[in-house]
Amino acid sequence: MSTHTTAPTGGTAAGVPGGIPGGTLGLAGGALLLGVLPFLAGNAYLEHLLVLWMLYALLALSLNIIIGYLGELSFGHAAFVGVGAYTSAILSTQLGLPPLIGLPLAGIVAALFGLVIGYAALRVVGPQFAILTLGFGSILYTVTNHWVDLTRGPMGISNIPPLSLGPITFAEARETYYLVLALVLIVAFLCHALVNSRTGRAFIAVRENAPLAASLGVNVFHTKLLGFVVATAIAGVGGAIYAHYIKVITPDIMGVHNVAALIIVVVVGGRGTIAGPILGALVYIGLLESLRVAGPLRMVVFAALLTGTVVFLPGGLVSLWSRWRGPRHAEGGAK
Amino acid sequence: MLGRRDLIAAAAALALFAPLAGAQAQQPPVRIALIGPMSGTGAFEGQLGLEGAQAAVSILNAKGGVAGRKLELVTYDDKGSPEDGVSAAKRAIEQDNVDFIIGGWFSAVALSMKEVTRDKIITVMTSSQHPKVTEEGHKYLFRLNATSAMMSSFYSKAICNQIKPKSVAFMNVNDDWGRLELENYTKLLGACGIEVKGHEFYNRTDTDFTTALTKLKAMNPDAIYVAAINTSQGATIYRQVRQTGFRGKVIASAGNMNPKLVELSGNSLESVYSASPFVEDNGQPSMKPWLAEYRKSYKNEPSFIAALGAQGVEVIAAGIAGTGGDPRAYDKIAAYLKANEIPTVLGNVRFSDQGQATQPIHLVQVKSKQIVAVRD
Amino acid sequence: MDVTVFAQQIANGLVNGMAYVLIATGLTLVFGVLRIVNFAHGEFYMLGAYLTYFAGTLLGLDYITAALLGAVVVAALGVAANKLIFWPLRRDHEFTILLSSLGLALLIANSGELLFGADPKYVESPFADEVLDIGTVTLTQQRVLVFGAAVAVLVAVYLFIRYSRFGKMMRATAQNPDGAALTGINIGLVHSYTFALACGLAALSGALVGPTVMIFPTIGNWAVLKGFIVVIMGGLGSVTGALFAGLLLGVIESLGGGYISLGFMEAIGYAMIIAVLLWRPNGLFSTARGLR
Repeated sequence: MSTHTTAPTGGTAAGVPGGIPGGTLGLAGGALLLGVLPFLAGNAYLEHLLVLWMLYALLALSLNIIIGYLGELSFGHAAFVGVGAYTSAILSTQLGLPPLIGLPLAGIVAALFGLVIGYAALRVVGPQFAILTLGFGSILYTVTNHWVDLTRGPMGISNIPPLSLGPITFAEARETYYLVLALVLIVAFLCHALVNSRTGRAFIAVRENAPLAASLGVNVFHTKLLGFVVATAIAGVGGAIYAHYIKVITPDIMGVHNVAALIIVVVVGGRGTIAGPILGALVYIGLLESLRVAGPLRMVVFAALLTGTVVFLPGGLVSLWSRWRGPRHAEGGAK
Repeated sequence: MLGRRDLIAAAAALALFAPLAGAQAQQPPVRIALIGPMSGTGAFEGQLGLEGAQAAVSILNAKGGVAGRKLELVTYDDKGSPEDGVSAAKRAIEQDNVDFIIGGWFSAVALSMKEVTRDKIITVMTSSQHPKVTEEGHKYLFRLNATSAMMSSFYSKAICNQIKPKSVAFMNVNDDWGRLELENYTKLLGACGIEVKGHEFYNRTDTDFTTALTKLKAMNPDAIYVAAINTSQGATIYRQVRQTGFRGKVIASAGNMNPKLVELSGNSLESVYSASPFVEDNGQPSMKPWLAEYRKSYKNEPSFIAALGAQGVEVIAAGIAGTGGDPRAYDKIAAYLKANEIPTVLGNVRFSDQGQATQPIHLVQVKSKQIVAVRD
Repeated sequence: MDVTVFAQQIANGLVNGMAYVLIATGLTLVFGVLRIVNFAHGEFYMLGAYLTYFAGTLLGLDYITAALLGAVVVAALGVAANKLIFWPLRRDHEFTILLSSLGLALLIANSGELLFGADPKYVESPFADEVLDIGTVTLTQQRVLVFGAAVAVLVAVYLFIRYSRFGKMMRATAQNPDGAALTGINIGLVHSYTFALACGLAALSGALVGPTVMIFPTIGNWAVLKGFIVVIMGGLGSVTGALFAGLLLGVIESLGGGYISLGFMEAIGYAMIIAVLLWRPNGLFSTARGLR
């Protein structure tokens, strides 16, 4: 994908709290706040929304590896979420396997699909890559929709048992929230470590200028494939948790609608950053929920705000932060 | 310096958060959650159901409500998807604290939503036909529409005795309902000597059906049976059946004939049969006022889906009125509904112990673009 | 194999394919000339179908006039969308442009649901139910019209790009926007005209396909997906490529659905693009930058 234009926030903003001295403190404070949130929520429905927020944050963080770090737009990400969800759901409902074993298996199966599809699709870039992933995603969707013996087709799988770890059952929102929160923090930390590692720098180098990276000895294809497989594995695990939490899945989980939702979360929040996808997920869930008061206008207002945000804040919501500090800190000054 | 773009950006960000301050609701009326597909491909069906329920609520409220309390509908969008159905039901129960739920227009949504409402709140499922909705239901769950089995045992007799095709081919939607229909009718029609020539399944997202219909036409059946729930897909199929040059009989699946479908299908539905619990001249006392109220308030023609919405409201109102007026006395209300015959717009309904309604079903036919009951 | 059925499936596929070509042509022009991946293209298709419907029912216009009026109005809307969104963003990152077009698509589709109502509608056409028997093949006049009108429009677009002064400006911009600007070409005008042409074509395809199916506010999704598949397979920016790819997709879907599995019809189409792109990553007809 050509990068002839300059992205307002590029790789430098990757670890938003990173370089700031008070960053670690802020990070700890943020984690603490996230930890007590369910107690502040006060009712089960708000806790449910918190779970959805964390699930979207997890999935968006995984997609962000592809969009933000590899610089490619994947239209097939929801399919991997679906593969993970179906793997764990089928294992626990049909084979009676404890869901806790299903969870890593969901990640592994999704990663295998990611490996095969990534191996084929990463040979092209830009819009062609987007359409190839869309194509693979649609094929997975179609197969899921028609392999009735395995997936129960369009009716989906219902009565999926909740996850459990020894005496703890993740049946209710609060427990699930902590489980996903833990995963989000782990993935966020891994992304942070990745960006600052040799591999991470290779990712950024590939995104910014693939031919140059190749000339410097980076194996562009392998680097991209690695990122793609990791992203799909996380998506698979996220999908599995979703399935065990909502207790019902249908092929719709792989649909274009979900693909668009995840891309919106990543880009509105701020691609290529860690805080971005998490913030984007909060805004996505919170906005759709609070716009219920708008009645029939709900989706129109949502779309208008989305378009406005993209047009006026191309770097995503996190770029507001750097703009705020911009006049004092940025070397070039504000425009 | 802040540029104009920054200001607009800040304004946009503010606007993103502004609506978070939600609206508070008041408590006095009996609050009924109506959860249905208000957007997406099922949006039209959801709109009809809401209109029907709203008309029934208006009539009841004009008479002073139920046991001295007014009824209030709270609308939720399930987008026709099970996941959104679960979220909507959770919100209705946990956040908005509603007294009753009417929902379950699509089977997949009904099947997942019933787990959220299980033994917690009286839930009236509407148009979904899947047997498991009530077979694996719960103590507060009721379902209005006839199951596929009830519909097909009635309709297959009418097909065998009145429509009498020599052979038939099926054009069914690829979901549980479409597959169940194929299974039921293959067996039932085969039993009365009608040859089944074959079938095609189409997807819920398809927009063009010429490929499938070309295959069916080549089988040269006497009749093509079309199982379509979605109005726009149904209308396209009925038109394209004729456009591919098929001149045999067309049989429309039970429970899915509605005025919009007839309007959209042009002449291609003329003299086509279907089975429906909805006929306007069924002699029920509450039907006439409901039809009048509906026609006064909405531009759509009254339909089966709209009547199901009205029925949901009527059943809940009858339950409250029959048990002394406490909308939260779920055990008493459920027991009352299962023990008594409930008068509704579509006829007197009886609920089984599982909460499954038995409704009168009529054979209907399209004549001069009107859906009329076939009386014999 | 039954020859009659085979011929009929080929004919079905060619008509469907030609509709894809018509949708894809506008999409490929916008990409070829302006380097914009426009996800809202399908919504202009939807608007075309709806405006034709309303021009027929509210203004009482006949089908052909209504369709042309719809195309003109949507072309103007396309210019407005360009002025408000795409032109100001022309120097931004491609993700920004792509996502803003996605936002625009959501906005138009949801506003459509609100304004036009959720109920499906039918665009009345005098040709819709008139069956023509061509040899053993049965087609409605409307489907023949879709094919014929598409051929006429494509020839006109080709001649326009090839020979008109404006077409030359478009081609120059496609090859090198900065160079074109240096030679005095008004790039802003090229943007406007390209959008007018592309959106007008999208609307026209909506008006033509409308009477063969039902219309509802979310049909744009379907249109833009089919359009993209065809554009990518044919080669981004290539009108000739779109023509071949569209017809190929239509016929393969129809034969795949007819002889392999109807349920997998769409998947077969996708499998074909994957095969094509792995073989020729830039599509069937792509060699270098520019309009072809």
